[in-house]
Amino acid sequence: MLADAVEPFALSALKYGLFALLFLFLWRSMRWVVRGLNVDRSPAAPMPGPGARAGSDRSPSQPVPANVLMHVEGKEKPRALRLAANTVIGRAMGCDLRLEDTYVSQEHARIFAKNSSWYVEDLGSTNGTFVNEQRLAAPAMLTAGDRIRVGTTILELAR
Amino acid sequence: MSAVAVPADAAQTRRARTGFGLLILAVAGSLLAYVLQGLGLHGEVPRNLAVYGLVFTGASLGGWLVIRYAARSADPALYPVAVLLGGLGLAMLYRLMDERGRVDIARDQAIWLLIGLVCFALTLLVVRDIRQLDAFTYTIGLAGIVLLLLPIVPGLGYEINGARLWVNFGFLQFQPAEFGRVLIVIFLASYLSQRRELLAAGIGRFGLPRVKDLGPLLLAWGASLAVLLLERDVGASLLLFGVFVVMVWIATGRSSYLLLGIVLFAIGAYIGWLALPHIQERVVIWFHALDPKNVNGIGYQLAQGWFAFASGGMVGTGLGLGSPTFIPYVGSDFILAAFGEELGMLGVAGILLLYLVLIGRGLRIGVERQDTFGKLLAVGLTTVIGLQVFTIAAGVLRLIPLTGVPLPLVSYGGTSRVATFVILALLVRASAGAWYRERKGP
Repeated sequence: MLADAVEPFALSALKYGLFALLFLFLWRSMRWVVRGLNVDRSPAAPMPGPGARAGSDRSPSQPVPANVLMHVEGKEKPRALRLAANTVIGRAMGCDLRLEDTYVSQEHARIFAKNSSWYVEDLGSTNGTFVNEQRLAAPAMLTAGDRIRVGTTILELAR
Repeated sequence: MSAVAVPADAAQTRRARTGFGLLILAVAGSLLAYVLQGLGLHGEVPRNLAVYGLVFTGASLGGWLVIRYAARSADPALYPVAVLLGGLGLAMLYRLMDERGRVDIARDQAIWLLIGLVCFALTLLVVRDIRQLDAFTYTIGLAGIVLLLLPIVPGLGYEINGARLWVNFGFLQFQPAEFGRVLIVIFLASYLSQRRELLAAGIGRFGLPRVKDLGPLLLAWGASLAVLLLERDVGASLLLFGVFVVMVWIATGRSSYLLLGIVLFAIGAYIGWLALPHIQERVVIWFHALDPKNVNGIGYQLAQGWFAFASGGMVGTGLGLGSPTFIPYVGSDFILAAFGEELGMLGVAGILLLYLVLIGRGLRIGVERQDTFGKLLAVGLTTVIGLQVFTIAAGVLRLIPLTGVPLPLVSYGGTSRVATFVILALLVRASAGAWYRERKGP
């Protein structure tokens, strides 16, 4: 009766085969869930979207990106961002830095580099762009530590 | 643009490869489970393995091809998880119904799985951008409420097991609430994304919502109570209110809404307990299922479920080798106990972890969406699945009083199967749109 003795063994071997498949599947799909969960700590590039204009006039003489910390009102953890030499901030899809905020205009403000300095310019927004809580009237030069406020979001230039 | 497109393409290829690998594992696992139940039950490979295997593999591949065609950059893990859950569920249903001499019931469920896959594909093909759904806020809301309350209509709705949640159109019987729920989530995502600033304004240092902003919360509470009292459906009522509270909480970022929701839930539960004798009975069973006077009476089902888990132990008896058919309604409410007996704690943990992947991915899609509507929709739909899994799994394990809701994709229930596939299609769609951006993507 060898068959009788073998069959339970074969059955449980197959059962463990099923467990192996199940947990291999879980292992491979779990990695997908866990990966990138703590993205906030790493400096991210400005999110280039479809039709983004990132780097449309990035000149070779301006290779230095601006490191900023983005504070969003009501959120505790600021996000580190690295801005390209010409970053349009706004609510529209094509913006380099999109902010979903009703106080932000479609194309709200632009941060750009010129003669190795950084500038911010209001693009005719409804609610204004503020540098250190002073409303911008004309493009202004930025220095380290400046806080640019657009709607409820504050971009703080790294020191 | 071209400089950006190259890495995006590479990431897409990697996603596709991961997804296809997962799909092969899912199909292999499902078919192995099917073979094992036949071997355990009859000592032979199921005779229709070739047909079953071909149809299952073909349908799974078909769904995958539709994703590749209609939503190229979509999330790779959601669909294979659904296939594996569906396949394991079918294998278990075949095993349970075969022992009861009702293989036809399992076959019906296999056909429902196919219908679910077709609806999954259709949803993906029709809804090309999730934001299309944002345009019909109130139409969708109204349709959702109509579907939810349809079983109350005399002549159309009828009762099964004391809950009035079925609708009979002569040729077709189904539970409209399953689809009503999906529509209500779409409505809420649309409504809340327009109103969230208003709702988020609070008073006092605890940020309590203003009295005039409580309207929607009270309305949802009233609707849930109506479902509870008129249709006597505890599960649907709980899901409706739970999803609502979670979505308001996510939309406003105010935990005071969560707190208020819990208080309102407690009041509603107390009203239900006073009004409906079968809820009182559920609570008695929950506490006293194993009492000698109940174990063969009202507590029989829950007690048998526990015995099944106990006799399964760590690795289970093997598919087809236990006796889970002692449990009444084992195919619908207690399918997790059947897995507990035949695949043990490892198998149950595996199934719960599969849901964890599903829910984790769903919430992640919500995080990565750039638009409020998409965020709320993804979180809401994921909550529908998550709350269902929690309600039935915790009920079977006696963590909470038992509430009969289907274990999505696994247990018996055609409408639920199809509705879950529609939810998954919407989640897959949400992960593929232009408004989805992975900040540091795999």
